[in-house]
Amino acid sequence: MKRCWTFFLILGLVGLGGGRAQAISPEAQEKVVTAASKNLIEIGLSYRGDQIHFFGLNPVSGADLIIRLTAEKSDEVKLSVKGRVGPFWMAVKQYDVTGAPFMYKIHSTRPINEIISPAVAQELELGYPAVRQRMNLKLARGDAAPDDAEKVFKGLIKIKEKGNLYNIVADPKRLEVAEGKLFKHFFRFPPAASEGRYLVESFAFTDGQLVGYGKDVIEIKKVGLESWLTNISQNYPVFFGIMAVLIALGAGLLVGMIFKKGGHH
Amino acid sequence: MEIYLPIAGMSINFFVILGAGGLVGFLSGLFGVGGGFLLTPLLMMIGIPPAVAAASDSNQIVAGASSGAFAHWRLGNVDFKMGLVILIGGIAGGTIGVQFVKVLRAMGNFEFVMKVVYVIMLGLVGSAMFMESWRTIRRSKSGGAAVSEEIGGAKLGQLFSVLPLKMHFHRSGLHTSAIFPFLIGVTVGIMAALLGVGGGFIMVPAMIYIIGMPTIAAIGTDLFQIVLTSANVTLQQAFVNKTVDLLLALILLGGSTIGAQFGAIAGRRLKGEQIRILLAIIVLALTVKLFFDLVLTPTDLVSLAPAKGGGH
Repeated sequence: MKRCWTFFLILGLVGLGGGRAQAISPEAQEKVVTAASKNLIEIGLSYRGDQIHFFGLNPVSGADLIIRLTAEKSDEVKLSVKGRVGPFWMAVKQYDVTGAPFMYKIHSTRPINEIISPAVAQELELGYPAVRQRMNLKLARGDAAPDDAEKVFKGLIKIKEKGNLYNIVADPKRLEVAEGKLFKHFFRFPPAASEGRYLVESFAFTDGQLVGYGKDVIEIKKVGLESWLTNISQNYPVFFGIMAVLIALGAGLLVGMIFKKGGHH
Repeated sequence: MEIYLPIAGMSINFFVILGAGGLVGFLSGLFGVGGGFLLTPLLMMIGIPPAVAAASDSNQIVAGASSGAFAHWRLGNVDFKMGLVILIGGIAGGTIGVQFVKVLRAMGNFEFVMKVVYVIMLGLVGSAMFMESWRTIRRSKSGGAAVSEEIGGAKLGQLFSVLPLKMHFHRSGLHTSAIFPFLIGVTVGIMAALLGVGGGFIMVPAMIYIIGMPTIAAIGTDLFQIVLTSANVTLQQAFVNKTVDLLLALILLGGSTIGAQFGAIAGRRLKGEQIRILLAIIVLALTVKLFFDLVLTPTDLVSLAPAKGGGH
């Protein structure tokens, strides 16, 4: 406990002196000891997403927990906004969106705004308002409108939530804490979660103050045929194109021989 | 049984894709038309990104048409000279089409243009076929003999025979201008890139009714040029848009091959005009569905504009 108070004191001083930036340094906190059921997800031929279970020890008994899953890479997406042109609905403008995390999931023991202040949430980038802060919009085509930022942000969240790449859940059933100490939960990685490194960070708070922090790294990568096809098609397109045509020709002729007059025209 | 498609970047039930291929194969076996124009929209409906659907469909057509083309070539039904002229047009059209797709994708309106072209095409083909088969059914009920509809086309054929750049097409027994076959090739090539179709459903009627080729030579030549045009589109899509999902194409091929066998069996039990009116109804139903997609308020106003690389 004494150590914690020292941390708070230091944090407070840093906070007063250094302004908002880097006032809270998670790495300096008491470690939240965690374990993941695995650290590597392999995308093979029959991959249909995966889930990883996490177990951890709350450093301060009864402290609130917020656990965040983010992709190391941020997303660069082009979002088109549909509008009415005559009787038709078509894309009327397009935004290049950068800075938003590719994947963003949070499990917490209570709603985030009941655990920490908006300032702390913003600083530790916990919750959708913080995602919005990080997001950059650049109009690529069409005419900007004042409510575009809100519209595009909401649209992005909706797309991501639909793909199960974003969600925020404050449910004791999803994040079980036994005796205020031992916690367990799982994150689901949907098939759309592409190759890369993902971070699972556990934040412990008492009275709105950060008291513990832990981190796990999860890696997703394609293996075997999936990895090979992706690599060839993206990096050696000429070879891939010729191969695709030759394989199709071969398969077609083979099928024709098997069925005598098969296929279609 | 889920399977992960590397380029589409999604996990999907293996049997759903096999079924989609099978359904289209069944219809093409039944109706004797290519299934490309049905397959791409079907793939989009099950969630494959439009650009990947079109490109992989082209790849599948290469396989699907090659067996038929090989059989017709052995039977001597391919007019290589005619095929070559159409092919030159097809390659030009396919190349233009792929660049067109690239520009449209960058503008974020690829899906819109694709659907509009589909609605127009399917609407025209569907209504024409419906009316033609309806007339045939009524005529056969009233006992009159079916008359072929070549009268209008034959006049057009005469018109094309006075155009310059005359060529002799030995297999088809024609001496006509090369301009029109070339233009058909260009049109079909553009459509092949845009829609992922082989173009047989336009090409064959055009060759029979407008150019005046014998039916069997038209089908053989059509298949020959479809293999090469689709191969060109597949290559271009792979080079420029990197959206060919080989795995998807191969599963579709498996499905369509099996489906085509059953379709051919079913086809022998139905009359020609019954088959055609059935196809017309399917085509028109699809047209109506796509049309409503264009005019009804979408549930999501903000959507992902496909980025380079197809899946994500």
